[in-house]
Amino acid sequence: MGRPSQKLIFALALIVAIAGTFVFGFRAGRHARRIHWQNEPIHAWMSVPFVAHTHHVRPEVLYQAIGLPPRQPDHRPLRRIAREEKRPVADLIRALESAIANAPKGP
Amino acid sequence: MREQILAALSQYGSPALFAVVMIAAIGVPLPITLLLIVTGSLISQGVMNFWWAIGLATAGSVIGDQIGYAIGRWGGSELVDRFTRLLGGPERLEKAQSTARRWGGPGIFFSRWLVTPLGPWVNLASGLAGYPWMRFLVWDAIGELLGTLIFVGLGKVFSDRVLALDAMLSDLTWAIVALLAAVFLGWKFFSSAWTKQADDGG
Repeated sequence: MGRPSQKLIFALALIVAIAGTFVFGFRAGRHARRIHWQNEPIHAWMSVPFVAHTHHVRPEVLYQAIGLPPRQPDHRPLRRIAREEKRPVADLIRALESAIANAPKGP
Repeated sequence: MREQILAALSQYGSPALFAVVMIAAIGVPLPITLLLIVTGSLISQGVMNFWWAIGLATAGSVIGDQIGYAIGRWGGSELVDRFTRLLGGPERLEKAQSTARRWGGPGIFFSRWLVTPLGPWVNLASGLAGYPWMRFLVWDAIGELLGTLIFVGLGKVFSDRVLALDAMLSDLTWAIVALLAAVFLGWKFFSSAWTKQADDGG
């Protein structure tokens, strides 16, 4: 590290690394604080029982909301259910969100 | 890609887990931390068996890591030549090999679970530097088992908060990577400055 240009690159890399430590550390702390109260968003990869578990509602309530009979075990992702039912997956997610908002909280 | 992988895990369970962790360990960037956390959540819901999942995920990762190591070790002279040029010549390669033998074990171990983004690079570099295969396998298997237990265990405990947990762990991992880079660069920068000062003084 003899040349001034090399020193400058090293110093810049050091500053970026220090900044990265603080930025990512701050973001990790913010996520940690939110972990207890922020509801999980619903994604197309989730199954109905998975959504029921993460939102503490009974699976039957969610099946009713999307107009399907309860099924156990049901590992089908919402994307596959939407394809089978010929409905947009966004519609299913909206119906589930609405049912969760109005449902009594389960275990 | 993330949606498809998690949908496959939800639908097919253990075989999907095994295949995805193996491919990721070779070096394909896939959301493995989230996959393991979701596995923990599925275990907590009674969908998957804990020890079966731990065994398959660890085995898949170790096999993928061995493939990465083998590419580095026996990937052909062109790859070795390129690596030698990148390091700055055969003397530097010999120095890197001796450093890898001395510090390779902890490097392999910590890149399995603490600084996971570095994992595939460490596999390749270990192979290129000629790190002994049996020692690589032992450090790798212990590290992967620990990593799998940590992430699946966290997913089991926080089974209803998988996405928030993944976001937190992802940022925490990058914070650790940045901190290690800062410590390394700071040490290099200041040790060089002190050496120069001593030379000038003496």
